[in-house]
Amino acid sequence: MKRASWYLTAGAVAGFAGVLGLSSRTTPAVPVALKGSRPAQAGQQAPSSGSGGSTAGGNGSGGQPAAAGQAQSATGPVTPYGYGELDVRVTVSGSRITGVTVPMLRTAEPYSQQLAAQVIPMLKSEVLAAGSARINGVSGATYTSQAYATSLQAALDKLHRR
Amino acid sequence: MPAMPAGRARGRQAGPARVPAPTPRPVLAKAALLVAGTGLGAVIALTITSETGSGLRASGGLATFGGSLTGMIGTYLALLMVLLVSRIPAIERVLGQDGLVRWHRRLAAWPISLLVAHAVLITVGYAQAAQAGLWHEIGTLLSSYPYVLIATVGLGIMCLIGVISLRAIRRRLSREAWWLVHLYMYLALALSFAHVIVLGPAFVGHPLTRLVWSVAWLATAGLVLGYRFGLPLVRSLRHRLVVAEVRPEGPGVVSVICSGRQLDKLPVAGGQFMCWRFLTRGRWWQAHPYSLSALPQPPYLRLTVKAVGDHSASLAHLRPGTPVLVEGPYGAFTRHAQVRPQAVLIAAGIGVTALRSLLEDLPRKSAPVVLLRASRPGDLVLRKEVSELVRHRRGQLHELVGNRDQAGLDERSVRRLVPDLHRRDVYVCGPEGFVTSIVDLAGRLGVPAEAIHHEAYAL
Repeated sequence: MKRASWYLTAGAVAGFAGVLGLSSRTTPAVPVALKGSRPAQAGQQAPSSGSGGSTAGGNGSGGQPAAAGQAQSATGPVTPYGYGELDVRVTVSGSRITGVTVPMLRTAEPYSQQLAAQVIPMLKSEVLAAGSARINGVSGATYTSQAYATSLQAALDKLHRR
Repeated sequence: MPAMPAGRARGRQAGPARVPAPTPRPVLAKAALLVAGTGLGAVIALTITSETGSGLRASGGLATFGGSLTGMIGTYLALLMVLLVSRIPAIERVLGQDGLVRWHRRLAAWPISLLVAHAVLITVGYAQAAQAGLWHEIGTLLSSYPYVLIATVGLGIMCLIGVISLRAIRRRLSREAWWLVHLYMYLALALSFAHVIVLGPAFVGHPLTRLVWSVAWLATAGLVLGYRFGLPLVRSLRHRLVVAEVRPEGPGVVSVICSGRQLDKLPVAGGQFMCWRFLTRGRWWQAHPYSLSALPQPPYLRLTVKAVGDHSASLAHLRPGTPVLVEGPYGAFTRHAQVRPQAVLIAAGIGVTALRSLLEDLPRKSAPVVLLRASRPGDLVLRKEVSELVRHRRGQLHELVGNRDQAGLDERSVRRLVPDLHRRDVYVCGPEGFVTSIVDLAGRLGVPAEAIHHEAYAL
């Protein structure tokens, strides 16, 4: 048929533009939250929370206001991602992140549990190396990584506010 | 002979004459192309929007993204390949079964290559991300990711089918063996479906996308079942064709005359073919395409076949009363394709069968020029019928008998026989080499591509 490729291309452009237009309006919550929290500069804020001696007394950890070198912990909100949901608990000692754990992990299927179990240690070491929530994430587990980073960032923000 | 039932089953305005074949609507084929393109664009956009910058920068991110993209495009093209051979009547009428199959053949290597690339890229990307060896990662993918194992089996089947479809290998296989193996493509696609939906980044957390994708595949499956199996079955049951007579027409050529019910309601255009399945012990499992050599004359339907393979040769021994299942009619080699007032019809060898029924469909006084080519006088089958039809339409008939040097069709002889060829539509039917040479010739003589119509016989 004549001009077959023309019709095909016209359709492709329309379909491409249509989906892009739709998705920019209805982007899923996870990436948006991540983009919002990312520029918050976790690495620089954590020290200020430590050295500033924290305005309100930390309710959970230690009982004493955080002095430099004293460990403080906070837990981020439960963050859903495509395959399940998780939250992240972070421990900051002075200006350094000294521990990250995942107290709650719930997944839709057993395999996702397996996958998360593989991925979470990798994310943990990324965070400890970076000293912040600004991590590259684990390829093949993009959504898990995003949820992890989001919850972690929120936990760090909590500590900062204290 | 079964009696013709009185009264029409469906009260449309068709007169006592046959139901004509529906007119092809090229706009539908264009709309289908637009829709196919839209889907392709949407699939690419979905894959891109489901990826994030951080994901791309992560180790293995690029390979994984490439894997998603090739996987999605490959799967979507596979869907289009299935649609191309699903015999949707509205599209088939415009492009013809052989036109659709040609597209299918031309494009089929793409989805398979893309899906192989998908498997490789995903494995490499995941291995980089997990900092694992390739072999270890392959094991992980197959054992711990859901549905990846069966999808891999599906990909293996696809590759096997791709390999046997390579020209060099395809030629060595019998039509039936090749066709049977080809059917496994449906199984391969079904096996791969689940892992796409469950693992594809464009689908996870996007229930709407999942729904649309599933509906598209279900609809495709429905079209295939309906038009490849349902409609032929309904037609076969409705017309209840049986072999009435087998008549020799020339050396190695027989006409099989079938009788059936309500053949006035079979929408046939001259020049079309059907796939025939003769229900005898050795033949019931294979359907072969043969042209109708005449428009239906209720209660009769005629096909004319030359013995070139096992199946066509065996038709001479068909017994009257043998039940027949049919598929079709198919083909865009009809008068509907004509874009100019007058036409020249050219056939070589057994190609005369399609020409004969096409000629019958042309209006009176349409003054067609008909060229028949054969190596020996005996091979000019149906010549009396053709000459009578030509006479009734005030046309001219030229018979060219002999070897190619004496009676071939070259630029000079065609110019001499049909001086106004460049102003006519050209219909050509015959063996593949012959058809190609005439199509080239007509193009050189100034006939535009849309006025050249052809149907080649693949042996």
